[in-house]
Amino acid sequence: MAYLFLAPWFIGMVVITIGPILASLYLSFTEYSLLQPPEWLGLENYRRMLDDERLHTALRVTFTYVFVSVPMQLALALALAFFLDRGVRGLAIYRSIYYLPSLLGGSVAIAILWRQIFGTEGLINQLLGAVGIEGEGWVSHPDHALSTLIVLNVWTFGAPMVIFLAGLRQIPTMYYEAAEVDGAGGFTKFWRITIPLLTPIIFFNLVLQIIGSFQTFTQAFIVSGGTGGPADSTLFYTLYTYQRGFGSFEMGYASALAWVLLVIIAIFTAVNFLAAKRWVHYGD
Amino acid sequence: MRTLRALAVSLPAAALVLTACGGDDTAGGGDGDVVELRYAFWGSDDRAQMTQDMIDKFEAENPDIRVEIDYADFGAYFDKLATSVAANDAPDIMTMGGAYHSEYAGRGALLDLGEVDDMIRTDKISDDILAHGTIDDSLYAIPTGVNGYAMVANPAVFAQAGLELPDDTTWTWDDFADLCTQIGTALGDDGYGSQDLTNHNTLSLWARQNGESLYNEDGELGISAESLTQWWEFALELRDSGCTPPATLTEELASQSAPEQTLIGTNSGGMSLVWSNVLEALSTASGEELELLIPPGLGGGEPGSWLGPSMYYTISARTEHPEEAARLVDFMLNEPAAAESFLTDRGLPVNTDVRDAIMDDLTPVQQAEAEYLNRLQEVVGEPVAPAPVGSTETADIVTRLNSEILFDRTTPQDAADQFITEVGAALQQ
Repeated sequence: MAYLFLAPWFIGMVVITIGPILASLYLSFTEYSLLQPPEWLGLENYRRMLDDERLHTALRVTFTYVFVSVPMQLALALALAFFLDRGVRGLAIYRSIYYLPSLLGGSVAIAILWRQIFGTEGLINQLLGAVGIEGEGWVSHPDHALSTLIVLNVWTFGAPMVIFLAGLRQIPTMYYEAAEVDGAGGFTKFWRITIPLLTPIIFFNLVLQIIGSFQTFTQAFIVSGGTGGPADSTLFYTLYTYQRGFGSFEMGYASALAWVLLVIIAIFTAVNFLAAKRWVHYGD
Repeated sequence: MRTLRALAVSLPAAALVLTACGGDDTAGGGDGDVVELRYAFWGSDDRAQMTQDMIDKFEAENPDIRVEIDYADFGAYFDKLATSVAANDAPDIMTMGGAYHSEYAGRGALLDLGEVDDMIRTDKISDDILAHGTIDDSLYAIPTGVNGYAMVANPAVFAQAGLELPDDTTWTWDDFADLCTQIGTALGDDGYGSQDLTNHNTLSLWARQNGESLYNEDGELGISAESLTQWWEFALELRDSGCTPPATLTEELASQSAPEQTLIGTNSGGMSLVWSNVLEALSTASGEELELLIPPGLGGGEPGSWLGPSMYYTISARTEHPEEAARLVDFMLNEPAAAESFLTDRGLPVNTDVRDAIMDDLTPVQQAEAEYLNRLQEVVGEPVAPAPVGSTETADIVTRLNSEILFDRTTPQDAADQFITEVGAALQQ
């Protein structure tokens, strides 16, 4: 009986999620052009990755993006949550405004807007021009293009901020009162009480944001017109996977790339969980 | 008991789902002998409307065939097409472009049109044009229209710089560089002599002028590292002399395809290398009377330009109705009525009779385009070999290496070697 009611979910799970995942695992060991039946290659696709220089570029770009944007985004989210938590009038409005970019950040429209803002004739350069600095096109220069995408990701700090805010609300005020009696200042309270009690929340946000950032696709696809340019400076891992799969009819290799990304993300998450034992405090 | 009741509730629901899935197959079965075809192409709603207009005429003449159009924006079209072919759900008639017809034919996804050659008349189409769709000696794709690679020039910008348009029957790359630099200097911050010229078509042109070819008849790379190096050294000279924009602007222009945003479209550039069929869009965007010039040569060398196909009609290898599909392709290629629906939207018609029939319906800009192609016809050399399997990637490889060069991250020599390695590898697969 229960199985019958589970069936819609279960069928969807098997047909739409698990089936394709297993199929892609199989395809990752084949040469598959989409137009012809797959041919078994064994481990060749995985071996090929060692010599694939563009893949190495893609890894470099993606790791830079994750390692720079996630800490910046979380720090900003925590800082704003901390200030909002100290009783700002109209908190609900601020919370909504700051949260908005998280909803929009991954969208095509925002990516197009970003291109305009950071373009040669864009808003940023007009502002710089007003103070006498002549800027170049930010999204179209290989040294800056990735930075603009990092800024875009940091800008979507609203989602972790809301979670931080909820976490801050849960810290009992008696701890702070006790600390004040002992003569603790603002920084000590933040460092000795807020941060330790917030570590489960920080950990949660960290894991989610790392997983999400590794999978970034839309922004880079739109900003570079699908090329990962200029000069491969925004060639995200997922974008490269897409190019191999659909651009050059190498769906087998693309499947192998997807599986390697899964393994990379799994390793990062596992390391996170292992390290968490040393710094995350779940109270008692 | 409870199980039974649950079954009673869920079965109709399941039946509903199943019938909904089956809907497509049963729809056409009712009216006897009517064959349903699916015709896929990319483009705007305007193109879809013209196509529907053409389909209406076709269906009126062929009551036994119904055609369903299936279109998408260019960016999504080939992803969608590859997926539906993989799912064994390929459209019966597919429009192809670039080297995609080779990619598909080389992998067995297209019907050898020799099997339906009694349905498709090709006697009014030049052999040079048909050669583009001939892969391994079989005709798989028929060009929809003719295009010519051209240097578009904006006379208003030339006048602004106090210059006259060159004589395009004799001009050389040195003349081009001179003119271009003068325009760039005269316009100052307001514009440039030309948009950056490098792309795979330009490399093909350059190769031909140097007695080589981008790809040879065997589907291998034909251009030498020396020619590539020379081209990119020239491109750097143009950048440094103020002829072409700085690298960041070139990059920005390269990552978008809207005619309104090109230097020609915004009247901030004197020249650009384009396919002749974008003349109309560029003219609308700039509002000026643009001119198409035959691209410059090496001086005494071969002009190098060629008549190229704009798109191709192909038929799926797995279509259940090859004959009916062939009748539609024949209609689109050879019936003046069809051409009247879309005029030059798919390039200037390849059938010379059809071309003459619609000439009076064309706008002045379209007529200028046709005149250019007539002039170009006189000077084209050997036809270009069809683009080989794996060559779809070339365009992106060129764009990427060109960025590296223009941003001074690599040298023309190294980029040339890289080009040969990367394109060579893509062609091998």
